[in-house]
Amino acid sequence: MGLSPEGQKASAPDIAVNSKGDIAVLWVDRSPQDKPADGGHNHDRHLAVTDVYVAISKDGGNTFSTPTKVNTSSGAVWGQQLSRPRIVGTPNGSWHVAYSANDIHPKLNKTLLTTHYTRSIDGGRSFESPKRLSSITDQDMSDVIHGGFASAAAFGTMTSAPDGSVHVYWIDTRHMKPDSDSGALYGSASRDDGKTFTTDKQLIDTSVCPCCQLTAVANSKSEIIMGSRQVEKDSFRPATVMTLSRLGKVTNERQSIGGAPWQINGCPLKPTVVAVHDSKIFAASHSGGEATPGVIFSVSNDGGKSFKPRGIVHPSAAVSDAPTITVNGSRVLLAWHAKVGSAPRRVYYRFYSLSGEPIGEIQELDSAPGVSQFPVTAARSDGSFQLLWQQADRIWSTTLTAK
Amino acid sequence: MKALRGFLIIGLLICGIHPLSAAVPAKPINAADFKSALASSRGKIIVLNFWATWCVPCLREVPDLLAVTNEVKGSGVVLIGVAVDDPSPGATEVERFRKRYFPEFFTYARQGSEMDELASVIDPTWNEVVPTTYLIDRNGKVVRRIQGKKSTQEFRQIIKDIL
Repeated sequence: MGLSPEGQKASAPDIAVNSKGDIAVLWVDRSPQDKPADGGHNHDRHLAVTDVYVAISKDGGNTFSTPTKVNTSSGAVWGQQLSRPRIVGTPNGSWHVAYSANDIHPKLNKTLLTTHYTRSIDGGRSFESPKRLSSITDQDMSDVIHGGFASAAAFGTMTSAPDGSVHVYWIDTRHMKPDSDSGALYGSASRDDGKTFTTDKQLIDTSVCPCCQLTAVANSKSEIIMGSRQVEKDSFRPATVMTLSRLGKVTNERQSIGGAPWQINGCPLKPTVVAVHDSKIFAASHSGGEATPGVIFSVSNDGGKSFKPRGIVHPSAAVSDAPTITVNGSRVLLAWHAKVGSAPRRVYYRFYSLSGEPIGEIQELDSAPGVSQFPVTAARSDGSFQLLWQQADRIWSTTLTAK
Repeated sequence: MKALRGFLIIGLLICGIHPLSAAVPAKPINAADFKSALASSRGKIIVLNFWATWCVPCLREVPDLLAVTNEVKGSGVVLIGVAVDDPSPGATEVERFRKRYFPEFFTYARQGSEMDELASVIDPTWNEVVPTTYLIDRNGKVVRRIQGKKSTQEFRQIIKDIL
């Protein structure tokens, strides 16, 4: 089913299912970028200049509401696949959206990226005026790094927990040195359904790969499991997972999910996706350190203290990337996109058991010919999975059921 | 003379051949035109650098690449950038950046929706890591793919091996 309307340039989907079984889908519309720069300021102005839309289904994905634009001013969102806006639901039916925003430093009058949040308390029909969660410091790195931004709080993520709390995290450059290329990890939480958030707090001061979007999920105890990429000595960049208590204290430091070491003095642009079931954590990420770069899958049976990599998930692919992973009941769904032979990029998926063993073969997603890419998945209340993907300039949706 | 130089630059751009001396605006390009542009550059050794304005290692690498390729430009080595930033009308955003920080850098700027489209012209297995630098020989064959920033010395040696 096509979700985004014709005429938009939709990309960067995200999806959430709340405890009532309602499904929220989000995407970025890049149409504002087709308009010339507004010339509002003379310094560097960066893309992406986009809008975010949300649509809700209350009937298990059979129908979706007319999309609602989330941001109040057009082009306010720095939204792209590399730094996707996020949506989550909380038990009382609210929907929460976090995104990186195009902002202007109040003193320096230079562009910067900040992390914004908004919520809907009317089932997605409207969203409140966004609030900025990331602090603005007097840092000005515009002449040194990231081409024109005074600072950046981006590539973030968000999760909600069973206790109703909402947690937003992002990668922050406020401590970045001119000779460094790693960021800090900051976060902010709400315990009143998004009405108020805590002052942003640093969780990691450095060594976070600044262009590899964070991911986070919560377990049944409302503890947070976070995926990120670390920058180590000599530019090795492992995909890692760390855990935090429900109050936001780090309980397990970053653990590598394994696989061949990847040494890269560059921007991998690769998130580490995570899913959780009791003490089991499932993780996946693209690794350029493998003989054939591709998505690797890894499992922790001890709450994230250690991981056992299971290797490349799609060995016959020339390249595989953009994994997404979800647990529902006794099944784990891993989806990704890949190029096989001379075929265009397509979405593939496979189910796994809770012990990380594959069930059945790799499946190619049944979609129209051409490029299908950037899947995201969520667990439905009926035990199946909802999968979104991007095809051409539209976002599509389908349901997958594990055997 | 100025008008003649401008005419020559425009003419070369129309032919898809970039001027050996840069300082021309960032050129928005789609996959089909990119393929044509590379084909028309046969006979040269191309150092093709995929970069982005938001990529810190890329920004540190560009000056090194400019320096190294300038050393050997007499040997028919040319540096061509490909900015993978999200497209803007007329590549104004990449151009604004290029002009300010790397005025001597000739770069294309992607016009298509996805980063992968341009790279797929020469490397369908590109994994969207930046910077990625391709060394293309005089016959148009990709002979080396380099991922991540390398030192000036490393690039110098890599190019020397091809010459």
